Amino acid sequence: MSDLFPLWTHRLPRQLLVGGLLLATSVTAGVWYYFTPKYTRAGYQPLQPVPFSHATHVGQLGMDCRYCHDGVERSAFANLPASATCMNCHNQVLKDDPRLAPVRDNVLTGRPLAWVRVHRLPDYVYFNHAVHARRGVSCDRCHGPIQNTDETAVAEPLSMSFCLDCHRNPAPNLRPAAEVFNVNWRPTSAAQQLADGQRFVREWDVKRLDNCAACHR
Amino acid sequence: MTKTAAIRNGVRLAPPPPELAREPWVANQRSAAWVADRGAALAEGRTPRWWWRAFVPSVLALLLLVTLLAYQVSTGVGVWGNNAPVMWGWDIVNFVWWIGLAHAGTLISAILLLLRQHWRAAVNRTAEAMTIFAVLCAAIYPALHVGRAWWDWWLLPVPNSTGLWPQFRSPLIWDFLALGTYFTVSLLFWYLGLVPDLAVMRDRARTRLRKLAYGWFALGWTGSNRQWRHYQKAYLLLAGLATPLVLSVHSIVSLDFAVTQLPGWHSTIFPPYFVAGAVFSGFGLVLALVIPLRRRCGLEDVITQRHLDAMCKVTLAAGGIVAYAYAVEFCAAWFGGNPDERAAWANRIAGPSAWAFRVMILCNVALPQLLWSRRMRRQPGVVLVVAVLINVGMWLERFVIIAGSLERDFLPANWGAFRPTWVDIGTFIGTFGLFFTCFLLFLRFLPMISITEVKYLTPPAAPAAGRPTFVEPKPTAPARPTGFGVLAEFATREDARRAARRVRAAGYRRWDVFTPHPLAGLDRAMGLKPSPIGWFAFGGGVIGFVTGVWLVWFTNAVDYPILVGGKPMFSPVVAIPPAFELTILFGAIGVVTGLLWRSRLPCLHHPLLHRRGFKPLTRDRLCLVIEAADPKFSETEVRQLLTSLGGRLIKSAGE
Repeated sequence: MSDLFPLWTHRLPRQLLVGGLLLATSVTAGVWYYFTPKYTRAGYQPLQPVPFSHATHVGQLGMDCRYCHDGVERSAFANLPASATCMNCHNQVLKDDPRLAPVRDNVLTGRPLAWVRVHRLPDYVYFNHAVHARRGVSCDRCHGPIQNTDETAVAEPLSMSFCLDCHRNPAPNLRPAAEVFNVNWRPTSAAQQLADGQRFVREWDVKRLDNCAACHR
Repeated sequence: MTKTAAIRNGVRLAPPPPELAREPWVANQRSAAWVADRGAALAEGRTPRWWWRAFVPSVLALLLLVTLLAYQVSTGVGVWGNNAPVMWGWDIVNFVWWIGLAHAGTLISAILLLLRQHWRAAVNRTAEAMTIFAVLCAAIYPALHVGRAWWDWWLLPVPNSTGLWPQFRSPLIWDFLALGTYFTVSLLFWYLGLVPDLAVMRDRARTRLRKLAYGWFALGWTGSNRQWRHYQKAYLLLAGLATPLVLSVHSIVSLDFAVTQLPGWHSTIFPPYFVAGAVFSGFGLVLALVIPLRRRCGLEDVITQRHLDAMCKVTLAAGGIVAYAYAVEFCAAWFGGNPDERAAWANRIAGPSAWAFRVMILCNVALPQLLWSRRMRRQPGVVLVVAVLINVGMWLERFVIIAGSLERDFLPANWGAFRPTWVDIGTFIGTFGLFFTCFLLFLRFLPMISITEVKYLTPPAAPAAGRPTFVEPKPTAPARPTGFGVLAEFATREDARRAARRVRAAGYRRWDVFTPHPLAGLDRAMGLKPSPIGWFAFGGGVIGFVTGVWLVWFTNAVDYPILVGGKPMFSPVVAIPPAFELTILFGAIGVVTGLLWRSRLPCLHHPLLHRRGFKPLTRDRLCLVIEAADPKFSETEVRQLLTSLGGRLIKSAGE
């Protein structure tokens, strides 16, 4: 027996305990960071057939979101623009730019322009853009500083707890109806935001929608 | 642990008159050494052919299970026969069936221990192993039934990216807690019972690998009375904790059904009815496994006719409760006057699944009546057939309750039927593969009877009656630096107790008595105070209870209050099942922690474990050691004292 279990085995229980605790802590921390949508989903930026830049169109030229996504206030889905919308300007500007060839091709032949979908919510979640946009939830609340990004990327985790943070406590996230599409708008102060937000909650009848059927219909 | 009335407190009672004499629990005057040899035979010897003949098909079925699980997870549970309206199919039938089978183990180990039923010692190891493997088989089904098996961990109350907590007002989450607690506590109980036996195996082992493996898991157990003192208390406390746990598990499983409003499920009799059914089927399985085993492994003297007789009586009693529950359910439906309840029963008796109902009555109510006859109880063949058929009947009972109640919806337009798919059938066969693979491996590598506990049931004169294995020291041993201490062997239990009293009176501090099983009266002889393990159990239980109540309150009433069916956000009633399960779980963990800490385990490197002469000790010897570290230690005096007490001196241990 003596050669099987030498004296140092007496230290084993303590070593195993400490080692186990360290391992458990690091595994927990690793899962906490790497296995959540903050890591797995945010930052997803696929290559698009046309390298469309929000930074150019919104940040530099100051176009309104609704010029292209014109259904956002009326429908559940914030539509992608028809290529004809692009051509409104691009029949004059950069009219022969090779980067825009797929857009022109689409207009001329009707062959679909295969944009790669960036934001994809699970199919068991019902999300309505219009309801949010018309009740003071600004675009950048979920899509981040889109006026500064070139090709579109996922800015926020869009996890369930991300939605719930706002659904449970809407007041700090609502802004004046006129400023919803102004992605550069900032509240004057936190106190002002809270006062305004509470007023909007009251006036617009914004509910604390955290029952399951609010989103899982 | 086990105290025989005949020698309690050292007083030998007069033997009963012959007409009142009972058969002993260990037949044919078998000695402790024989028990150790026979109990370890299958784990040590050559692998018998019957083992392979059982193992190969089991592993094949296990492979089938693994394949089908991969298929179900990758394809989705639509491959099952579940449909609308029968949305709970074989998955839940098999879940309830397996978890019911798992009930005999802890019932035998815990409740029968508290009731001082000595016969449990021969079968508790097998039954506990069976429990653990049956819980594993059962756990597969709900894990898949949720549909997206990779989200199973959402059942745990850990923060996650959904921002959600488990919904503690649902019995399904109680079920998860009950199952997890039951598995953990059963495993701890099983392992705790195994530790002294693993020490026996360690000291018998011949190959280095076996010595390492058994030595590692035996944690350095020496069988000293200072260890036994804590061990016995810990074992008893675990039994006390496990007893209400056994009753809670199937009660909670039954609540999965009883809280719904489906006729045939919505019934207050369900918890006791399910528990009785679980005990019924569990004993059926124990009998079905033990009867072939005792024969294959030559254990007829340890698992005697009288054991089978006792188990048959428990089976009969549980079967009686089940039959009574059937009758009460029927009467409640009949006299309750609720047309839906009546229709559900009419459907059971005469509906499309009536065949299952009839076979169920035959197997569960009619057939067990055979066991009233003592002659039948004593025929292993008959008992085996009855035991197997009871489990067929109990499977059909769950099928009748689940599919039979669901197939007739309130709206006739929604009526349907359940047909198992090949995946259902294959998975069910596969769970048998998992069960028997685990069980056969257990038989092959671990002692299948509790050697330690059965030893105590052997006739008391047996220890140390055999051959001298220890080398007597020369009387004129030269005075030299002593190692660990002086070791003396005693012939009978009474000698050991007397020696302990005298050594204590002589004022020694660092000494101990080593016994292969706990010895009654030794604690008092050694002057040991009661073990403080109870406080660990109490502390763990309090922590568990407070954690449980706090968890339910914080998650469901504070952090994410969701209104469910108009129920209050927090109600103590809802907190009871989770808090109860956590009380038991933390209490059991407290017991084991306390035991390890107080008896200074694991201690793999112990001076006594080095000695070749120590090895027979865990087998059948009674020894007393006075350590050299004792302040009063003087080798000549110690030797004189021990010899004068009738001890056979053994060389100073551990040099």
